Amino acid sequence: MSEITIIEKKNIAPDATMLFGFPDVGLVGVIAASHLIEELNLEEVAYIDSKLLPPLIVLHEGLPHSSLRVFANNNILLAVSEIPIAADIIYPVIQALIDWGKSKKTKMMISLSGIPIQERQDAKELKVFAAGSTPEMLKLAQEKGIDILGEGYMVGPQAVMLQKCANMKIPALTLLAQCFYNYPDPEAAAEVLKSLANIAGIQVDVKSLLEKGEEIRLKARDVMKRTQQELSGIKKTREYDIPLYVS
Amino acid sequence: MAIRKKKSFFDIINEYFSDVEELTSQFEDMFMEKPSWSQKNCTMEPLKEVTVTPKEVIVTVDLPLAKEGTIEVKPLDNRTIEISAEMKRKVRFDDFGITHHKGEFQRFYCQTRIPVPVKIDKVQFTLKKGILEVHMPRKHGERIPIE
Repeated sequence: MSEITIIEKKNIAPDATMLFGFPDVGLVGVIAASHLIEELNLEEVAYIDSKLLPPLIVLHEGLPHSSLRVFANNNILLAVSEIPIAADIIYPVIQALIDWGKSKKTKMMISLSGIPIQERQDAKELKVFAAGSTPEMLKLAQEKGIDILGEGYMVGPQAVMLQKCANMKIPALTLLAQCFYNYPDPEAAAEVLKSLANIAGIQVDVKSLLEKGEEIRLKARDVMKRTQQELSGIKKTREYDIPLYVS
Repeated sequence: MAIRKKKSFFDIINEYFSDVEELTSQFEDMFMEKPSWSQKNCTMEPLKEVTVTPKEVIVTVDLPLAKEGTIEVKPLDNRTIEISAEMKRKVRFDDFGITHHKGEFQRFYCQTRIPVPVKIDKVQFTLKKGILEVHMPRKHGERIPIE
């Protein structure tokens, strides 16, 4: 039996775009995912059950929920984690989600995340970069005016997702908005959502996200602190490293 | 020529306990789990980061909902600063949907250890997009000559 089980609560529509929003730098993916769930009224359709996850449940209105769930409507499947994923389970969790998404005949996978920049508080505008699982996906991003993350390292769930999708020839993109490393960044989440709208046609109004920015930052302090600990465990700062390519 | 006063037994013991206290505090910061809020003091602990550059130490602190003009940065000793700020409005546990704790918060409060010697009396700070930036020039020792 697999170490990870995805339990479906509702029927899943085919041809959806599968999105991933996990705790990472600036909590960009999670903030963006929460906004999508709220704005599009996405429903919980599945969750992950696994002994690999920490002994933790998330209580909502007194009822237990898995920390790793999938929300959906007819066009979107959104995998979101409320707690950072420990380094040693990133591979099995991402592999299980990708296998499951493929079995549901999703047409494309996109992970939403951030790329930290120094002096973020001085940045006038935040750029979004993309990396793709195939040359065709990179071309799609370029045609939509999104810069390509040409050279460098990527660390974390979105890196594993992209590699697995490349191996399995699944069209996939990782969208990375420039953000704070250690502080929740709703502005970066708004930017990544604008790029998502551009690429996949998933439109949401980001005005309310920006208006609630300070409240979100206050609420996200504890998750950010836990995420910082996991980021240090996966050596996230390698993303700052200058790569030495052996061709 | 300056005459160096010999340390008394009590000075040495006091220094020893001060060092132990400092190490305990550093250990607690690194490994002890504690809530990011204090019900008793009605304060929330903000996220913070310390960066050492060749010329200065920069402490940044995330202060969402902080009221500008109420931010205070005070040195506690040569290597510790205390940061506090009033919030624009009182924040209650209810605001986060939490019903099993009661209480409200109206201030941010934290203390930060500075990892290298600084001119603590030359502290300057600015607030940009709700991020407090505290700048402290470093105090450099004597250069070690290359033989």
